[in-house]
Amino acid sequence: MRSRLRRDIVVGLILFFVLFFLPTLFPKPALRDFLIYVIAYGLLAMSLNLLIGLTGLVAFGHAAFFASGAYTFALLMQWGRTSIPVAMLAAILGTAVLALVIGAICVRLKNIYFSFITLAFQMFLHSVILTWVSMTGGDQGLQGGIPRPVFFGIDLNNARTLYSFCVVTFVLCLAIMRQVSESPFGYTLRMIRDNPERANFLGVNVVRMKLGVFVLSGAMASVGGIVLALFVSGAYPEFGFWTTSGEAIFMLMLGGTQLFLGPLAGALLLEALNHYITIYTEYHGLVLGVVILVIVLGLRRGIADSLFAYVTQRREARRIDEVKRPILQPTKNEPA
Amino acid sequence: MNLEALVACLTSASCAVTQISTALIVGTLLFLVAAGLSLIFGVLGVINFAHGGFYMLGAYFAFTAYKLSGSFIVALVAGSLGAGLFGVLFERLIISRVYGRDLLMQLLVCYALTLILDDGVKLIYGAEYRMMGMPAAFAVAPVQIAGAFVPGYYLFMVAIALATGLLLWLGINRTLLGKTIRALAINPQMVGVLGVNTAALYAGVFGVGSLLAGMAGALAAPIRTLTPGIGFSFLIESFIVTVIGGMGSIAGAFIAALLIGFIRAFGAIGFPWFVEGLMFAIMALVLVIKPTGLLGREAA
Amino acid sequence: MLRVDNLTKSYGGVKVTRGVSLDFPTGSITAMIGPNGAGKTTFFNLISGHVRPDAGRVVFDDQDIVGLSSLEIARRGMARAFQVATLFPSLTVREAVTAAVISHRGHSWQVLSRFPLQSARARVDELMDLMGLTSAADTLSSILSHGDQKLLDIGLALAMNPKMLLLDEPTAGMGPDERWRMIEKVRSLWEKQRITVLFIEHDMDIVFKIAQTIHVLKYGAVLAQGTPDEIRGNNDVIEAYLGTDQRLSEAVGEV
Repeated sequence: MRSRLRRDIVVGLILFFVLFFLPTLFPKPALRDFLIYVIAYGLLAMSLNLLIGLTGLVAFGHAAFFASGAYTFALLMQWGRTSIPVAMLAAILGTAVLALVIGAICVRLKNIYFSFITLAFQMFLHSVILTWVSMTGGDQGLQGGIPRPVFFGIDLNNARTLYSFCVVTFVLCLAIMRQVSESPFGYTLRMIRDNPERANFLGVNVVRMKLGVFVLSGAMASVGGIVLALFVSGAYPEFGFWTTSGEAIFMLMLGGTQLFLGPLAGALLLEALNHYITIYTEYHGLVLGVVILVIVLGLRRGIADSLFAYVTQRREARRIDEVKRPILQPTKNEPA
Repeated sequence: MNLEALVACLTSASCAVTQISTALIVGTLLFLVAAGLSLIFGVLGVINFAHGGFYMLGAYFAFTAYKLSGSFIVALVAGSLGAGLFGVLFERLIISRVYGRDLLMQLLVCYALTLILDDGVKLIYGAEYRMMGMPAAFAVAPVQIAGAFVPGYYLFMVAIALATGLLLWLGINRTLLGKTIRALAINPQMVGVLGVNTAALYAGVFGVGSLLAGMAGALAAPIRTLTPGIGFSFLIESFIVTVIGGMGSIAGAFIAALLIGFIRAFGAIGFPWFVEGLMFAIMALVLVIKPTGLLGREAA
Repeated sequence: MLRVDNLTKSYGGVKVTRGVSLDFPTGSITAMIGPNGAGKTTFFNLISGHVRPDAGRVVFDDQDIVGLSSLEIARRGMARAFQVATLFPSLTVREAVTAAVISHRGHSWQVLSRFPLQSARARVDELMDLMGLTSAADTLSSILSHGDQKLLDIGLALAMNPKMLLLDEPTAGMGPDERWRMIEKVRSLWEKQRITVLFIEHDMDIVFKIAQTIHVLKYGAVLAQGTPDEIRGNNDVIEAYLGTDQRLSEAVGEV
């Protein structure tokens, strides 16, 4: 399976170069800013897909980790004694610990219970952010800006350098997530998604595996929050509000859960959509809500997943025609 | 932490009575919303993430009805029935299409509906805070209990909520319709075979659940400020209530709602910054020790 | 290999397993029969840790396993295939078997290597060959024929190198030809892999042909146990089955 690894590396490099040089080809600050938003929310959506698409855990409170990354990073930088990389690592680790604590309670629950409990914990974090005004600035958000001291000769006060730094961070995170989903761990998660009881009878510790991916996914979401905090030079309670989690789920629906880069496409689409909706109306939620309803009720699945299912069906149909197996033909009697 | 204040309040009859009345108000409102959430989950197997929206609708419908008619009874009926009707429509037009489908889709339609309701209310009523004001019928001197003054409206509210809860419990546990609904929760095919219109029953149950949330909104309208998005925080708390009390259990919701009410009322004096934390800690504890909740039977 | 003493379980006052005591020697192949509702699948659930018994002892490989989770019991070497084959629909046959092998070897947590571990390959090929699934290696398990799905289900269980294999109606839902092919597979597994096998089966021809010992359950209690010949001549068994299971009365009648 060396060829799959090679393909992943090639796709990763292409993505990197496209993102890296796009602002050089179209040197507009607006495009660069837009792409940073796509990167931040893309990380949120892609990390969420580790839970939803890969493991079958429909988390509805993922923005908690997005916000935790943003606030931890921003507060550490404002404290003024850490460099950017150290603060980033600390924020990621801190969020991983938070995810470990929340996850330890959540992953024992199934289906919609899991969804709601993750949402509840997110809203708890949100209310902590709102009430702990002395620390977080409450509903005004973290004021005063985030300093960007030079490290290793890299000066993130330069907008182009900041963008490049975000792209590198982004592609690095993507590489980690891709590797994990293609590893033995990733395939064990697929077993759990398909059939947790059976996986359990095959000696898989389902609860611990779920907790493992929950922590990883939370840590990756925190990187998205860090990127956004770095870019907007602050942190806001909206990062951890339930609508942010809702948007991440909508991104998955737009881009699909079955293709690795699908959620990124979803983030791109939704960010573009948001961009235009906010230009034309202040009733952003109304328009977005109607768009979601039309898509959900119009299609039976997400846009990309519908396409994906269609293509897979066609491919399988062709395969079955080719391989006519003689042993154990299907019978009409289904088991009782 | 200000435990001295808490002890001082508990030992003073008037303070204790004031806080108990607050606890009962919070508890009964939560109970109505949570009972609806729990009922819908118990029968339809759907946790309605848009449930908070019906609370908000109830409050705003009551607000408008009161402004138009000047009668609080009309406002209460309008808020409850309006939200209930919306619930039936929502179930028939949207939720019923995602039964048995991806959980993701259920979440998304509820998310979409909440966005639409919040913005719809903003469109019609504006984003600013609104006050309905105490209805004229209750603009009387507060009742004096042990040196504390308790507004007459509080007593009315608690009475209405208790009566509704009792009626709901009797309806589910003591009537033929209730029996059918309980059967529907266990085996819908069987009930369908017996010639019952299950689709109508589903819509009805969803409607009653929404009606309860709407009634809570209407009852809260005279004493709380109205703003788009008020439903959502209520949704989270009522979810905590249903988890503690046990999904699908009306009695469990009642006990847990009162518990949360008391934590809110007395915690506000003793440990205001830890009230939310305590609620979540209790929920986490219940989930770890007894995942089905205090009185729940359904496995989590 | 497995000994069960006085195993008891009731649900809401209804006793579904009543003081069952049975012995399954190492290397034996045993059938469990009984009319519908006799508590056969419950018995499987009890010994595999899926359901906790109210009372009684389950000694597996010289250790009391009551109270252990199904995960721990599975890891001690008791594997199970299900009445309705339960698989991983989105994985191909090869992927599913590989994942099972990886899990058995404790490699599930590896994140730095790529999935189809080279080290697992030989074992995976061997298992697919054993179950006759080599030509379907790259087929999604959800679109396998019914019989192949059951074979894969057993193959997944074998990936754990089990000491004991529990098969819940391995031939359920199959046509007559398929049935015999499946049972030949089970017999050859037992002979060649030296696994202790316990299976639930309704087809009495099959039971009498391959089981060394037969345990008959009725209303959750052991009605009879013995060799096929002893069971054939047991009046209690004939009585229990007459009118309830046409196939047994026919099979018994033929003797």
